[in-house]
Amino acid sequence: MSLLNRKLRRDLYKLKSQALAVALVMACGLAMMIMTRSLILSLESTRDDYYRDYRFADVFANLKRAPDSVAEDLRAISGVAAVQTSIARQGRLELPAMIEPATGLFISLPEYGRPKLNRLYLRRGQIPEGPTAPGRILVGEAFAEAHGLQPGDDFSAVLYGRQQSLRIAGIVLSPEFVFEAPPGSALPDNRSYGVFWMPYKELARATQMDGAFNRVALTLRPGVREQTVIAAVDRILRPYGGRGAYGRESHTSHTRLRDEIGVLQGLSIGFPLVFLGVAAFMTNAVMSRQITLQREQIAILKSFGFSNRAIGGHFLKFALVIVVVGTGLGILGGIFLGRNLVEMYHLFFRFPLLEFQLARTVLVAAVVVSTLAAVIGVWGAVRAAIRLSPAEAMRPEPPADFRPAFFERTRLGRSFTPSLRMALRNIERRPIRSFITCIALAMATGILVVPSAFRDGINHVLDYQWDIVQRQTAYTTLIEPQASLALAALRNLPGVTLAEPVRAAPAELRFGNRTRRLAVIGLSPQAKLNRVIDRQNRQILLPDHGLVLSSKLADVLQVKPGDSLRVTMLEGKRPEYAVPVVALAEDFAGTAAYMDIDALNRLMGEGDRISGAYLSVVSGQWLDFLAAVKATPGISGLVIKEAIREGFRKTTAESIGLIQKIYLTFATVVAFGIIYNSVRISLSERQRELATLRVVGFTRGEVGGVLIGELVILTLVALPLGLFIGSGLASAIMQAVNTEFVRLPLILTPANYAFAVLVVTIASIISATLACRYLNRLDLVSVLKARD
Amino acid sequence: MSKSPSNSHPQESDTSEDPVFRVKDLKKIYGEGEAEVRALGGVNLECREGEFLVVLGASGSGKSTLLNLLGGLDTPTSGELHYRDWNLGAADDDGLTQYRREAVGFVFQFYNLIPSLTARENVALITEIAPDPMTPEKALEMVGLGERMDHFPSELSGGEQQRVAIARAIAKRPAVLMCDEPTGALDVHTGIAVLEAIDRINRELGTLTLVITHNSAMSAIADRVLTLSGGLITGEQRNEERAAVKSMSW
Repeated sequence: MSLLNRKLRRDLYKLKSQALAVALVMACGLAMMIMTRSLILSLESTRDDYYRDYRFADVFANLKRAPDSVAEDLRAISGVAAVQTSIARQGRLELPAMIEPATGLFISLPEYGRPKLNRLYLRRGQIPEGPTAPGRILVGEAFAEAHGLQPGDDFSAVLYGRQQSLRIAGIVLSPEFVFEAPPGSALPDNRSYGVFWMPYKELARATQMDGAFNRVALTLRPGVREQTVIAAVDRILRPYGGRGAYGRESHTSHTRLRDEIGVLQGLSIGFPLVFLGVAAFMTNAVMSRQITLQREQIAILKSFGFSNRAIGGHFLKFALVIVVVGTGLGILGGIFLGRNLVEMYHLFFRFPLLEFQLARTVLVAAVVVSTLAAVIGVWGAVRAAIRLSPAEAMRPEPPADFRPAFFERTRLGRSFTPSLRMALRNIERRPIRSFITCIALAMATGILVVPSAFRDGINHVLDYQWDIVQRQTAYTTLIEPQASLALAALRNLPGVTLAEPVRAAPAELRFGNRTRRLAVIGLSPQAKLNRVIDRQNRQILLPDHGLVLSSKLADVLQVKPGDSLRVTMLEGKRPEYAVPVVALAEDFAGTAAYMDIDALNRLMGEGDRISGAYLSVVSGQWLDFLAAVKATPGISGLVIKEAIREGFRKTTAESIGLIQKIYLTFATVVAFGIIYNSVRISLSERQRELATLRVVGFTRGEVGGVLIGELVILTLVALPLGLFIGSGLASAIMQAVNTEFVRLPLILTPANYAFAVLVVTIASIISATLACRYLNRLDLVSVLKARD
Repeated sequence: MSKSPSNSHPQESDTSEDPVFRVKDLKKIYGEGEAEVRALGGVNLECREGEFLVVLGASGSGKSTLLNLLGGLDTPTSGELHYRDWNLGAADDDGLTQYRREAVGFVFQFYNLIPSLTARENVALITEIAPDPMTPEKALEMVGLGERMDHFPSELSGGEQQRVAIARAIAKRPAVLMCDEPTGALDVHTGIAVLEAIDRINRELGTLTLVITHNSAMSAIADRVLTLSGGLITGEQRNEERAAVKSMSW
């Protein structure tokens, strides 16, 4: 080992705690980057393989009913590669252990062979092919897991009004249902909604769909424009009650997955870059100080004939060792966390196998980025070191220039104590350094605000949204829209104290060239149960014409109140209207377009009809209510608010909660790192001053006060600034991770701010205590006798 | 009677005949076993109020160790060390801090001023914590810096900085002034100006003054000259008359 390297090793050992602090901050940034980028890679590559191997379709369409022969017309569309038709029908499930009603979507399997598209992955059991015993079905894994169902288990379902005895032949996954949620719902409810597959003949017989289909999926040849094919499909299916074909980009499961990847992308850049920026600053601070301390050593090395390159390289190596440690820890941390988070994605996404895949290009990028951060951080200091002429470097540095601080030149200054003056003048003498330290401290405060904002957003959704905004107990849907008289029957169900009508009508909303298909929700204008709320948490009274859009939907369509949308109803006579947007609603899950129910019914031209109702049910009669719902033939589904809330708690809340905890840990480490480093550098710069004070009789407490005075002032300035930066950061990250499926409101509470301030304060106290302990061990005499 | 400084204030002696320091068989050993270094090997000494002592010795002779022990910057391994009635040998850290705060003024080779405080403020730093200080202005006038009180250290020459350090040391009217190579970093001309300031303090305030140096030219201005070698006092010389600082040269 060369002597310079030996020197390097010993210098590093001496500075181990500071070097480790810098390396840890760097590691936090890298771990986050590697974790998120690897998760993105894992999800994307797994998805792409799955889609390819199991032939996920490109275009999908639902319709009322078309004879099988229509499939030939679809196949004939130019650019279509393969067509798969099937039947899909909802049915009511009757599971022995389930008190509340559950709904199943039953999809047909082709009579012969495997489906051409959207093939199933068999997890357990077998796929019924050819002539099998009646009632053999396949069940989606999410539902099977929620109920502990195994191949061979029996249950029954009511399909098209007739009870069917069913036996589970196998448990399967489908690329169509990577994310499995009830239709129209942004959140999964795997207990009360499941997907099932059964042989075509049986399902056709049970639902009177022999020789027909109501669902089609198709793939396109390479280079074919999707919109052209969709238009052709729509034209062909229109006479058969086609509800409008759509591409993958509107496919619920696919978009949910895409949005999750978008969330990770949002988290994979901003936050880690903040951390790496802070690490660069810290490296610079540590190295500048080292070089100042080693001024004479540099001079001696140079006078002995060491080249600038050798000396510059020596100090760069110092920084690179920190990078190596930081990168190593970051990579290990990123892999460890990534592996654990992949497990979590099983909560949402059903893949045959989702394995953690390390994003190797990101590893390279991480090494490059952190090396760059360190080199940029250290470059100025190294350049100053090699520019110094040996003669100049061997002379002690002249005393630093000072002048009375700005505040002292005002009247206020007269009452300042000497330690306050020292602190103020130190700050003012090196304004850029003080500013950067202040910004670093502000960042330490700010990054602590973000994770708590996530937590508070979740709690807001869990409590406020579901208790204050949505006051219904359950939402019930009818098999077919019925005259509004049906509401009276629902109101008469046991325990129901309030029932409010809902009319959901599938529609296409178009503004310019942007479209979205969704169900327009017609509600009572002054609903008491599911209320439409604006940004200021005030209820929006639905006017007698016009649409109220989720503000996310307005973003997607790029419309604002006052604009007029083209609305095409996708049911009945498919009327088309220009409807103005009258207000924007703040909701947190899915996107919706709300309307006064009477106005919607007028648009549909079918008279007063309802498709369901929001119900408020007293808890004492809950079981009677559920039994009555099960026994009512016209009810197709029941969405229980508590079950959805529980689903949210177990999936979205849990995953965001986990990420929040990781970020909070990282933010705390970074805050400690920044503060500890600032104190250590201040200690190193001022140890002669502090030793003098000790020698002339200042007590340890008094000297400690002088040491931390500067830190206290900078922290006091940094705290409000940090809370401000943190709020901005939280808002930006929240924007980046908010999707059409789930949005968290930006909730910034005094408790959140107080926590950030508390952590920074505790970090400051601990760092100051450590510094004071070091100060106490200082050999006063040798410090004073040494040349600075 | 011996008291711990940590629980009482120093008691001024009634007569100038009582020694300020009583030192018996004072030893200081650093390290253990093979690494053991005997810095002081058994020093006996008495110093009286108003005395000007110069301690001479080569590097490693133990003179700085002696100053550190007398100045309350370190504790002895064995032996007796009394400042008036205080047993400094048995004092804890708080006791030594209090001792330094009230009784000792230090001047070092590298002036150790606080760069962010003006000359006046550097002195005021001490007068604010001392029980019976003189004003910073008076202290600075005594060292001939009455005109440059509001300058920062960076605006003062080396000699001026050292004189601020002396003013800082004497502003609290210490009983003892300890100077460790006070002219070591200065040229002859400025060195003499600094020594004049120290000499004046000693004469006007009657402060027991200890100057440690390897510069034997300083012997002439002292009442007594001690020579240290190998951790022991190997020579002691009394001057009937102290030479004027101005007459010095080296």
